[in-house]
Amino acid sequence: MTRRTFLKLSALAGAAFAAARIIKHLAIRSTIPVQASGENTINDKWVATSCLNCPTRCATRVRVADGKAVKITGNPLSQVSEGENCPRAHIGLQVLYDPERINSPLKRTNPAKGRTIDPKWVPVSWEQALSEVCDRLKLLRERHQPQKLLLLRGLNTISDEDMICRFADAYGTPNVISADALENEAEKSGGWMADGNYIHSAYDLARTNYILAFGASILESDTPLARNLRMWGKIRRERPNRARVVVIDPRYSVTAAKADRWIPINPGTDGALAMAIANVIISERLYDAKFIRNWTSGFDKYKELTLNYYSPERVGVITGIHANTIREIAREFAVTRPAIAWRGRGATSWPKGSYNSYAIFCLNALVGSIDVPGGVIYQEKPEYRSMPKPVEDSIAREGKAKPRLDLRKTSRFPAAEVVTNQVADSILNDSPYPVEVAIGFNSNFNMSAPGTWRWDGALEKVPYYVHIAPFVSEMAEYADIILPACTFLEEWSYDHTLPGSGCAEVRIKQPVVEPLGDVKCITDIVFEITRRLGGTVAQSFTPLGKDTEGFVRYRTKTLIPWEEFREKGVWVGAAYQYYKYDRIFNTPSKKFEFYSSNLETRLKETGNGVHDRLACLPHHEDVEFQGERDEYPLVLLTYQPLLNVNNGSQNYPWAQEIFLVMHGVGWTNFAEINSRTAEALGIRDGNMVWLESPFGRIKVRARVFHGIHPQAVSIASGQGHYADGRWQKGVGVNPNQIIGVDYDHISGQAVFLNTRVKVYKA
Amino acid sequence: MRQEMARWGMVIDLDKCVGCQACTIACKEENNIPHGSPQEQKRRTEIYWNKVIAVSNGKYPTVSIDFIPMPCMHCNNAPCVTVCPAKATYRREDGIIMQDFRRCIGCKYCIVACPYGARNFNYKEPEEEEYHRPDPPPSRSQRGSWPFPHRVHGVVEKCTFCFHRIDQAIKEGRKVGDEVVPACVEACPTKARTFGDLDDPNSQVSQLLASRGWTRLREGMGTEPKVFYLPK
Repeated sequence: MTRRTFLKLSALAGAAFAAARIIKHLAIRSTIPVQASGENTINDKWVATSCLNCPTRCATRVRVADGKAVKITGNPLSQVSEGENCPRAHIGLQVLYDPERINSPLKRTNPAKGRTIDPKWVPVSWEQALSEVCDRLKLLRERHQPQKLLLLRGLNTISDEDMICRFADAYGTPNVISADALENEAEKSGGWMADGNYIHSAYDLARTNYILAFGASILESDTPLARNLRMWGKIRRERPNRARVVVIDPRYSVTAAKADRWIPINPGTDGALAMAIANVIISERLYDAKFIRNWTSGFDKYKELTLNYYSPERVGVITGIHANTIREIAREFAVTRPAIAWRGRGATSWPKGSYNSYAIFCLNALVGSIDVPGGVIYQEKPEYRSMPKPVEDSIAREGKAKPRLDLRKTSRFPAAEVVTNQVADSILNDSPYPVEVAIGFNSNFNMSAPGTWRWDGALEKVPYYVHIAPFVSEMAEYADIILPACTFLEEWSYDHTLPGSGCAEVRIKQPVVEPLGDVKCITDIVFEITRRLGGTVAQSFTPLGKDTEGFVRYRTKTLIPWEEFREKGVWVGAAYQYYKYDRIFNTPSKKFEFYSSNLETRLKETGNGVHDRLACLPHHEDVEFQGERDEYPLVLLTYQPLLNVNNGSQNYPWAQEIFLVMHGVGWTNFAEINSRTAEALGIRDGNMVWLESPFGRIKVRARVFHGIHPQAVSIASGQGHYADGRWQKGVGVNPNQIIGVDYDHISGQAVFLNTRVKVYKA
Repeated sequence: MRQEMARWGMVIDLDKCVGCQACTIACKEENNIPHGSPQEQKRRTEIYWNKVIAVSNGKYPTVSIDFIPMPCMHCNNAPCVTVCPAKATYRREDGIIMQDFRRCIGCKYCIVACPYGARNFNYKEPEEEEYHRPDPPPSRSQRGSWPFPHRVHGVVEKCTFCFHRIDQAIKEGRKVGDEVVPACVEACPTKARTFGDLDDPNSQVSQLLASRGWTRLREGMGTEPKVFYLPK
């Protein structure tokens, strides 16, 4: 057949199709008024909005045809990722059209709660649902116990988070718990010890010449992911000089696969390696003497420590990396400037993770990579229009003065901003007081936190739990009321990215389609609750607008005219300024500190005292594992693959079917075991095995893999959902079910990587 | 109108590709390709017009894994075209290998003949609503008509280099390769993929091929693919 005949056939088919349309149109013409724009005009528009499938919140543009969202692409105006998106953005369509979404508020009719117990949902009206919730909330305030309300935050837009925090303030509870301490708080605290900024570090990727990545999953899960991906292309092949990348990780991650060199390290010893690298750089005088002299303090103590205790030979034994290799990478790192030492979750999700983080971060200062082109940069924040202070009554003031459930900034967690995983134990122990009402905003902690069983128990125990999300997740299974929220493609919001590009950037979220079902934006739900509560709570919210759109307009008014914001989708701040040494160091010395006075102060304030001369210096301590080595010989390392969608669900076939790119399969996760280890255990590729820790066991398929340390077994997170969802239920296993509870106590970060397991055939 | 017919080709930089699979999803999104299920993956009956494969070499600790995105290679000497008894697979003048769903008799010879595994058989019943999306409008200002509103059961499917985008762009006088590219190229966050006219020495693809050594898959089979890979 020729092309001509094909075209003819197509034309015929097209004509038939058109005829069918016209006939259909004529048939309904009598009842439906014809649109003024003409009968063949069909709505085909692009709407600027942004993603929320991970905390990067990339700016996107969505094509809407005939009222249906059909395509998502990047927004070229966004500086963070230069208009690119990662694959998670495309999955937004399946988030929007997820067949398992909830269409109306649901009320539990089965009073018994538990993992396998059917809640027996019945749909109720918004009026009934909200009045029941508000009755509970009113009662707590009437009893002068607003602190017994617990608010749990999963992944929400920044505007929703602002609303939730303000609600807590006005209502009077100090207990707003984010999921941050399940991510990478130890990274932040390590940075804070050095420069006083408790933030995720940003790196000037486009201009760097060398990246030394410690357990950093730059190309899979580190944020802002879309930026990392775009910059990867840039630094490897779009410049005359190709940046060199060395990855230190017990697991051959995607980042390791794409790097110039992968160096497997004994699990949990990254801090020691960083100190040994410092040893080489200092002893060979390869450091940036001028920066050290002018802008750092505590260098002498640090120098003495590194030179006396962290010789490459000694650290070689600890890390399993040959001393000569350590010298090689130390020299490369010091002379190939600008260079970045990047600390990822693999290096910091350990009991002394803050010190690992501090040790690695200090390498940047050694080579002068602080606030220079190609080094660590300091993200500018957008200046939203400020809100008037919430109106507080004495009930709110007294409630907020009560101790927090997560024990942050106490002797147990001296520098923590939040200790997510502690809350489950606080609920179970009624300590410091019982929780009466909890509200979860897109949270799913009984899946995503180590020691999932404690969260199950805690949720069973909470007398009244309200879950707000677009779908039924594992946490929602314990709810008394579920309030269905919009997805991010149906709501108004403003959002900014995690640190990355340096310059400030705000993205809009605007509805690309009308909300599907009887669902509401989280901000609208909060507005509605405050109006029903009345009094000072309501007064705190009246100046902010009537609804979500009004609130977003209010907050962004000082940045950009509303119509322009809707049209462009992003607002970008001034170009980034480097060398702001007089402004970026929030330390007592106003310098980068190799000896942390911030930590010293905090330890004293919280009554810990500073008894150990190492307490405020970067250093390495041997990891205390959970489980005895003799019985549980392997370390369980979890990692987040790129297609683990971060919104608490995994009910997305596009993500599921290509979930593990390394292994070429989807719809599962594996226990990845080193080939030699597997052979010794008599395990073959594809065998079903038990992974057993002191806390439980899970049955999973083994994958014999050359890319994992012989003393470790790795497994991807994001699977093992048991809540409804035809594309997620029963797919894979959740490793958090067998991971014990431990913390990096300085930051309150939950430790994911120090549980030992044994593996045997099922 | 163009005076000479272009010869479309794709260049994929394996140094830039990080295996994120945005191309795979964008392709499904663009071309309404049905997603699979655990059962279909087990039976190997899923449909991908583009897939990223991982090729593993070596042993711990000197292992290496390469990610190779696999669209249709649109071969100059395409075995699928030669073997098709129904002439359902044919080569357009611009070199794109097309599949006519109406002529395809579902014999799968082409699937056997293709050395790249680029072809898939659609086992799905059309009434399975899961993968249907309503037909977007016929007049699309930017992206060309979207060709596959309704899928056909029992035929072979494959990558088209997003011919609908190309045809629309040419009609509108927009530059293919710069302004308009296939969905996988557009979605690639590392910009590992480049698309354009191989016969035009000024096109991005030609320039890239001139700048670095390149390779094609299974060169020895004489298929002369028009997808070129720039090695790491």
